[in-house]
Amino acid sequence: MISFDLPRKLLGSFFPPLRSWLGICVLIFLSSIIIFDGMINDWGRASQGLGNLVKFFNESLWPPDWSVLEPQAYPVCTVYPTFMDFTCSTAWIGMVETLKIAFVSTVFGAIISIPLSLLASRNLGFRRKIEDSINLLLVASPITFFLSEVLSYLPRFFLAAFRSLPSIIWAIFFVILVGFGPLAGVLAMTVYTVGYLGKLQYEAIEGMTKTPLDACEAMGLTKFEIAFKVVIPECANDLISQAIFMFEYNFRHGTVIGIVGAGGIGYYINLYLKFLQYDKVIAYLIIIFIVVLIIDFISIKARSYFTDEIALNRPSWKSIFIPFSMNKR
Amino acid sequence: MEKFPSKIEPIIRLNDVSIGYKKGEPLVQIPNLEIFPGEIVAIAGPSGVGKSTLLKTIAGLIRPISGSIVVCGRSFPNRPNRGELGYVPQSLGLVRHASVLHNVMLGANAGHNFPIPFIGICLPSFVAKKKAIEAINSMGLEEKISEPIRRLSGGQQRRVATARTLAQCPELILADEFLSELDEKTVDMVLKEVTTYVKSSNSALLVVEHDITRAKMMADRLLVIDDGRVNPFITEPTAMEVKI
Repeated sequence: MISFDLPRKLLGSFFPPLRSWLGICVLIFLSSIIIFDGMINDWGRASQGLGNLVKFFNESLWPPDWSVLEPQAYPVCTVYPTFMDFTCSTAWIGMVETLKIAFVSTVFGAIISIPLSLLASRNLGFRRKIEDSINLLLVASPITFFLSEVLSYLPRFFLAAFRSLPSIIWAIFFVILVGFGPLAGVLAMTVYTVGYLGKLQYEAIEGMTKTPLDACEAMGLTKFEIAFKVVIPECANDLISQAIFMFEYNFRHGTVIGIVGAGGIGYYINLYLKFLQYDKVIAYLIIIFIVVLIIDFISIKARSYFTDEIALNRPSWKSIFIPFSMNKR
Repeated sequence: MEKFPSKIEPIIRLNDVSIGYKKGEPLVQIPNLEIFPGEIVAIAGPSGVGKSTLLKTIAGLIRPISGSIVVCGRSFPNRPNRGELGYVPQSLGLVRHASVLHNVMLGANAGHNFPIPFIGICLPSFVAKKKAIEAINSMGLEEKISEPIRRLSGGQQRRVATARTLAQCPELILADEFLSELDEKTVDMVLKEVTTYVKSSNSALLVVEHDITRAKMMADRLLVIDDGRVNPFITEPTAMEVKI
């Protein structure tokens, strides 16, 4: 078994200051600085950046144009009472559509990724089960061995394949397949969610303590019973918190995939970027930022129902939304 | 002298077994060991000597280095049939985020509910639920039935693990220090329930116990692992001569 201290001992034998972890951290940091310096030819450009930002901010970004919250001219807004007419605005329509895409694709992605991640987890023994089944069906030979290896790695292969392309590339692909609109967005985000969430899920499953699995295996429970009655409840905290994180992630990326025509608020951001109306773009970005913050706060409360430590001292809505110092007062 | 008539099949039979994690370094060597129905056998010995590893090997969770192991009529690597073997690991193996009932139902389902072939999922069973509730009540946990395990004390969690095994009604119980963290009164209650079950159902209990006095008190036979070999000790007052 490789010791945790092995790198420290090996490096320390070449160069004594590397005997400590601090020395190794300093070495890693210095090497990253040297690599970075090698990539940059002109450091002068970086010094101009701040000035450019101030100029761009003053001339184009600020103040935000909040007309994006006003109802569109067409179709005519018929919402009553009139103070609710912001629900006919492009910002509201785009935001709601992005939220819908994020929600639907997170749910679909989670439903597909859970069985895949259970099959991909090495500690549940599904891999051995596949190998045993193939050896039972066919006479053991190098071909059956190869077949069992391929089949047992299939879930990991699919998860890796879905994850390898970013969601915007999947969005372009699905826009070509099914045309512009939220359907392409949902399909793109679902595929990416399966790959990304599946990876997080099987890592959480592989990290769970082995004794419940041992006890149930000794009792003779089937793999399906162990998966659904032991593994999923035991990892529920991680799985739920990852799903909430994925919803947040999908919402943020939902704004990006709109740029390639896959629906949501990104469509309007792209539209105003083309017309160089940056004051409207910054208004959309502020709205996205506020919604991301609200989702984050809600997720703190939602996750508190599944953690051991907070169970007895669950945060109230007030303590989540109001900063600690103000809340104390 | 024979303890049991030769017709009775032992629940556990070990022949020339070496156990451990590395091939060249066996932790424990057992020339011959048989455990019969209705017997309570305790294993004692200093820590780190391989008591829990022996239990895991008998449970089929660790491959023996050499020798033959037959448990409930099936020799390793074949496992005992569903529900025949109950196992209480030292760290209990409970689903911490699930309720007491959910955990005990795992054992009850293993013993009284059979999965749909090829699918591997059980339909709800009234018998299993009844057995689970009985086991929870027998451990004095009726008020905690809906509580998640993470909110129970160490002793209560130990009783849940014991209830899970009792609800299963197995032929063989392997228990790893299942009485630690319990007060004397609760030890008496748990021990009474378990011994009553073992004696009435003619099953067997193999228990790892750190406290040698308690081991002598509960067991018909005491095995001490010392210097990598299992040595039999004959306990009082139920002293019987046993050859291992």
